[in-house]
Amino acid sequence: MEAGLGRGDLLQRAVPAEPQKPADGLRKLKREFSSREELARYLQEQFPRPAQRDAHLSPIRGGRSQAEAALAPIQPARYAFTRNYLDGCVTGLSPYIRHGVIALTRVREVALSRVAHPFHASKFVVELAWRDYWRRLYGLWGQGVWQDREPYKTGWAASDYAESLPVEVEQGRTGLACMDAFARQLAETGYLHNHARMWVAAWVVHWLRVKWQAGARWFLKHLLDGDPASNNLSWQWVASTFSHKPYFFNRENLEKYTRGAYCQKCPQRGDCPFEGSYEELHRKLFRSQVEG
Amino acid sequence: MKPLVWVHEDCLRQEAPYWNQHREAPAVFVFDDEQLEQEEWTLKRIAFLYECLLELPVEILRGDTVEQLRLAQQAYGCDCIVTADTPEPRIRRVIEALRQHTRVEVAPEEPFVELDDRVDLRRFARYWKQAQLKLFPQ
Repeated sequence: MEAGLGRGDLLQRAVPAEPQKPADGLRKLKREFSSREELARYLQEQFPRPAQRDAHLSPIRGGRSQAEAALAPIQPARYAFTRNYLDGCVTGLSPYIRHGVIALTRVREVALSRVAHPFHASKFVVELAWRDYWRRLYGLWGQGVWQDREPYKTGWAASDYAESLPVEVEQGRTGLACMDAFARQLAETGYLHNHARMWVAAWVVHWLRVKWQAGARWFLKHLLDGDPASNNLSWQWVASTFSHKPYFFNRENLEKYTRGAYCQKCPQRGDCPFEGSYEELHRKLFRSQVEG
Repeated sequence: MKPLVWVHEDCLRQEAPYWNQHREAPAVFVFDDEQLEQEEWTLKRIAFLYECLLELPVEILRGDTVEQLRLAQQAYGCDCIVTADTPEPRIRRVIEALRQHTRVEVAPEEPFVELDDRVDLRRFARYWKQAQLKLFPQ
């Protein structure tokens, strides 16, 4: 990782006020670092238990200057028809939005300013609205976002699902090229494209038959945009405990939107659990009374 | 009124209403050890927040959030605490605990869309049906 924290005007202005009285008991953390490596070493010393879970920094950096850099090139019209592709025109703004580094309203205004007609930014604004929607529900339900909001519509009872994730899933050692790559990317960067999140969630809940809560906890450990509202309720949407039917996919769908990046080199090619039509997979994954 | 600005992880920007009105006031952020353990944070998440904080004029503290805020309030000679509203239950619990001993002003965030309190939230489609009328008026 390159050195330097981008000590521009913004950082130089960011000087906190000094206390008026002796600050006994205040546990202040350091603000001056000569490099990102020094910051990493300092955080590893200060936070040894989180560092046991993983001790590296993400290549995605925090800060307003980074948020502005991600906001500047957004293309809402192009986003609308490419966003489902892993190499599509997505913004990477979610970690900054999640922590309020940049307001949702400002992102919307910038998006609308980039299009000839508001209609061309409507898909982009809908995705921002999902965050607003999840936050409103979080306000109503609080910790209730950890509970099944409704029964599973998979034909299976909640008790049919395992409580915990198999360790090889988190470690990216299942032999499925796509899912292992997503698990490693999650651990390495703290970020996953939304479509990849949906595939992983569907695989964990419907193929491995693990409770969505286990998957949600795994994601929250790592995601820089980790937020129980968006995260948990999206898992519930996939699981069908907060939607009318389960979300699932097939290999053809994954291959299309990854542009074949994983299927070609997958050790399980030819014996892929995601192979088949939606009808075939539906029969395989769910009990018969569930509608497709 | 001499406020202490409590910056929490849901609203890290100075132009948000809670902070914008008190830009000259001392501001603090607290990494809460108990939260980091309960939520099993990895170091990269802490680092991301830390880098955000380094671009803000905020004292970075760690420990029990309520205790550190009380100590900061004393050290800076502040008579109240201002912060941003959030649905996050942990932060709401901290606000309630702080209110046992001091005045706390909680400023709402700028609404993404102003909707009737009785808006139907049972499914996104129902919410969006009403939200889009405000966001994309004909």
